[in-house]
Amino acid sequence: MLLEVVQAVVTGLLVGFTFAVLAVGFSLIWGTTGVVNIAHPAFAVLAAFLALLASRRWGIDPIATLVGLVPLFFALGVVLHEALIKVAAKRTRELGLASMIFTFGLASFMENGMAYVWGPGPRVLNTAYTGTAAQVLGVSVPLPHLYGALLGVATIGVLYGFLYHTFPGKAVRAVWQQRDGAALCGIPLHRVTALAYGLSIASAAVAGVAMGLIYSFYPAGYMVWLINVFLIVIVGGVGSLLGAAAAGLLVGLVSSLSVLVIPFVWTNLALFALLILVLLIRPSGLLKR
Amino acid sequence: MSRSTRRDFLKKAGIGAGVLFVPQLSLRARASTAPIRIGGSLPLTGAYADTGVWIERGYRYWAEEVNASGGLLGRPVELIIYDDASQVDRGISLLERAITVDRVDLLLGGYPGTTAAAQMAVAERYRRVYVSMGGHMASFQRGFRYSFGAPPLMGEWWYEGAFQWLESMPPSERPRRAAAITANNAVGMAVRGGLADGLGRSGIELVMDELYDLPLASAEPLVQRAKALGADMFIANGFFGDGVQTIRAMKALDYNPKLILQGIGSLIPEWVQELGADGNYVVSGTALHDKLPFKGVAELNQVARERWGLRNAPEYFLFGYAWMQALQQGVEGAGSLDQDAIAHYLRTEGIDSIAGRMVFDARGLPPAYSYTTQVINGQVELIWPLSVRTAEPVYPKPPWGR
Amino acid sequence: MIGRHDGRYVTGVLVACAFLPLLRPQEYVLTFLYNLFSYAAMASAWNILGGLAGYLSFGHVAFFGCGAYVTGLMLVRWGWSPLATAPLGGLAAAMLALVAGYPTLRLRGPYFTVVTVVMVLAVKIVVLNVPWTGAAMGLWMPFPPWDPFVSRVIFYEAVLVILLATLLGVRWVLHSKFGFGLRTIREDEDAAAAIGVPAFRLKLGALLLSAFVCGMVGAVHGHDRSYLHPDFMFDLHPSIMIVLMALFGGRDHWLGPLIGAVAVMIADELLTVYVGTEAARMLFGLLLIVVIVFLPAGVISLRVRRQPKPVPAGRGLMMP
Repeated sequence: MLLEVVQAVVTGLLVGFTFAVLAVGFSLIWGTTGVVNIAHPAFAVLAAFLALLASRRWGIDPIATLVGLVPLFFALGVVLHEALIKVAAKRTRELGLASMIFTFGLASFMENGMAYVWGPGPRVLNTAYTGTAAQVLGVSVPLPHLYGALLGVATIGVLYGFLYHTFPGKAVRAVWQQRDGAALCGIPLHRVTALAYGLSIASAAVAGVAMGLIYSFYPAGYMVWLINVFLIVIVGGVGSLLGAAAAGLLVGLVSSLSVLVIPFVWTNLALFALLILVLLIRPSGLLKR
Repeated sequence: MSRSTRRDFLKKAGIGAGVLFVPQLSLRARASTAPIRIGGSLPLTGAYADTGVWIERGYRYWAEEVNASGGLLGRPVELIIYDDASQVDRGISLLERAITVDRVDLLLGGYPGTTAAAQMAVAERYRRVYVSMGGHMASFQRGFRYSFGAPPLMGEWWYEGAFQWLESMPPSERPRRAAAITANNAVGMAVRGGLADGLGRSGIELVMDELYDLPLASAEPLVQRAKALGADMFIANGFFGDGVQTIRAMKALDYNPKLILQGIGSLIPEWVQELGADGNYVVSGTALHDKLPFKGVAELNQVARERWGLRNAPEYFLFGYAWMQALQQGVEGAGSLDQDAIAHYLRTEGIDSIAGRMVFDARGLPPAYSYTTQVINGQVELIWPLSVRTAEPVYPKPPWGR
Repeated sequence: MIGRHDGRYVTGVLVACAFLPLLRPQEYVLTFLYNLFSYAAMASAWNILGGLAGYLSFGHVAFFGCGAYVTGLMLVRWGWSPLATAPLGGLAAAMLALVAGYPTLRLRGPYFTVVTVVMVLAVKIVVLNVPWTGAAMGLWMPFPPWDPFVSRVIFYEAVLVILLATLLGVRWVLHSKFGFGLRTIREDEDAAAAIGVPAFRLKLGALLLSAFVCGMVGAVHGHDRSYLHPDFMFDLHPSIMIVLMALFGGRDHWLGPLIGAVAVMIADELLTVYVGTEAARMLFGLLLIVVIVFLPAGVISLRVRRQPKPVPAGRGLMMP
């Protein structure tokens, strides 16, 4: 029994890191522009599919495909900002609300596009190490989970470094904290938010590959990942990178441990219930500073 | 606005009137050499397209063959197969369309079980014979008089052969504890339906009985539980995708049951492609197989080789052909397109198709049967009943990687 | 004034549609109109909460499914015809709305919307795993007792009646204090509450009304299909369609969702037949984007200009 719990904790933490990467990008956009990007997890799913395609076509490891995917998705993020967000912001007062609808539309568009190209069935990223595990003190550490988690940690680390130790990064944080103030300081909002979007979608690509190593993914699956991300962002608050990361770990743990106590089919429901509970008690976030 | 609304209205009325009267242009009286039209829907796109496309090929090959040898009741057959995009409600409305708009003479069966079950209800309402895989036992307990599973894909019978095989072993060799995971849908639940009784007959205890919603995010937690409970038999009542994930999880967690039963998916070539040697020794069931000794199977294998360069005829190609054969024999036996006569013939005389000889009972089912398969050296072999066995079963399953 | 005459005109057309079956048209035509009226009713009802109050719910399919299942179960257990029990189905949906809405209507904007999606997913899981709903096998119902064409006509008339009643109801709401209050909530909920608008009660009322209509439509559809399964009774796509229809048509006019329904249904039919399901849905995704960005008040706003164009929230500082 104890072993089962330890195993669940280990798996939960590993999985939590991948959730955290996905949540961080989502939080970034929400924090800087007030846009709730429902299509964020759809981008992650797209990245997983592209990684699958590339690894099938050229036989390379999905993680290696990130070399090409990250710049590509950065560009996609900037395009999203220029083509959609800027246009919408000019035309409506309620950007937050409107963003829910048009990003939902974008997500639906992407979902069906992917379904058209790859079919709606679930896939998993196959690697040389799929189905293998390191045995540590009787606990199985599946290698795909481990590598996914490492990817997550690395990405969050890089983002942290960027946001806290580089000038453009600090500009992003400034906009994140206090938009008007940042503008008053002479920060070019336009360019900074475009950067934020690029970073966000690029991180979604990493998240997609990391999650694709562990979980099955399919076009309509972005919705379930969205619920997880939403839960993380609500728990950790929209305010900070580290908050999102910590909340990601927490949600990963809950999701993993819940399997031990309730029947498998109800585990998703448990997460939903947690989400609603948190929303009711502290919508501004449990870990908000 | 009122001007354009009026224009709008006239346009709407014009289109409406046109649509209403167009079908009246179709011919009512038919010459005796006019084709017999057989209609329905299949999932040609969407989640079940892979299978749907093969069923369609089976249907169409049958039509080709029939037309080449003089037709059905002396008339050529014409197939009208709509694409229901793997959606049940589309399947319902398209079948209704085939019946009411296209006015087909006969119906063809849909896929998968949920669509077939819903279509059975539609066919019954219009009093038309409907030959298909059926929608598992529940669909055949509705008192329908016009539906036939010829052969049915009956989840409840799926492991019947495997259980008989287990019973034939000395008790000391059989597994002691079984863990079952089941995909939470009609098929999975149907397959699970036969477990309690089957396991009980061999004295095997069911220590874990978990359900999971599709798609399965990750199989590790379930397999971990089975391993912790010391189950030496694992039953995965799922499909191809989750089946593959489950096998991988078993290997990753170094879980080595003596016997693995798998629901659907271990029979298609992709199983071995994805899993390689790890896919071996998995036991499953089926209602039809390319190695069966019935008349016509060998010819269809040959067709599959010539047309698509495959080693053998894919399972659903055979099913499509078999269902059409049943319909054909019903029509020829009754000597007419009268639905009641066809149904009556199927219940009294039965058929003799590539699936064997079967006579249908009041529910529209043949007597319960199932063939048991095992993947050995990357090939699907039949291991039960003994009369069709093509290879010695491997039991207990060797540990991973050996 | 735009609106008065159109209303009577359209109502007249709809009433005339009631006599359409006498012409013995193709069943397919009746089926198309049946689906159109159903969506139009649900979109119009949704609009009370979504368009007027600005609370965007992507969860209304849960009420549709709820109505279908409740009346379906009553038919299976006690033999009551869903056509008679449809109002009970609506009531059940309203109760679900009450339970779900009470805690969640306190949330704003995106939080509320995401919770509505969560609600659908949660209800689906529950129905999938509780044995007495038929769970993953689905719920088999006895057939309607009439012959197929008569059935089709009866269901057609049923949803037409529901649509007419809903349109009348929505029109009344729009011109009433209730509707006015809802619109103030959309403008600025806090200010509205400050001047004494009972915001929560109004929102709840809007949710319950829209749930009731969706539940009734669900009851009719359930009886028609005779087979229910969570996969297609709690699918998000109809919810997306409802939102799209209401927004595309126009959220400030009682005819808006109906117009949206007509446009979207025709587009859907053409696309699905000639191109394919995914293409149709991709287009709807794009339409959602286009509509909300360029035509937030819907197609009808091209003709009707009720409010001054909204001034974007500040030029300069607030804009990226």
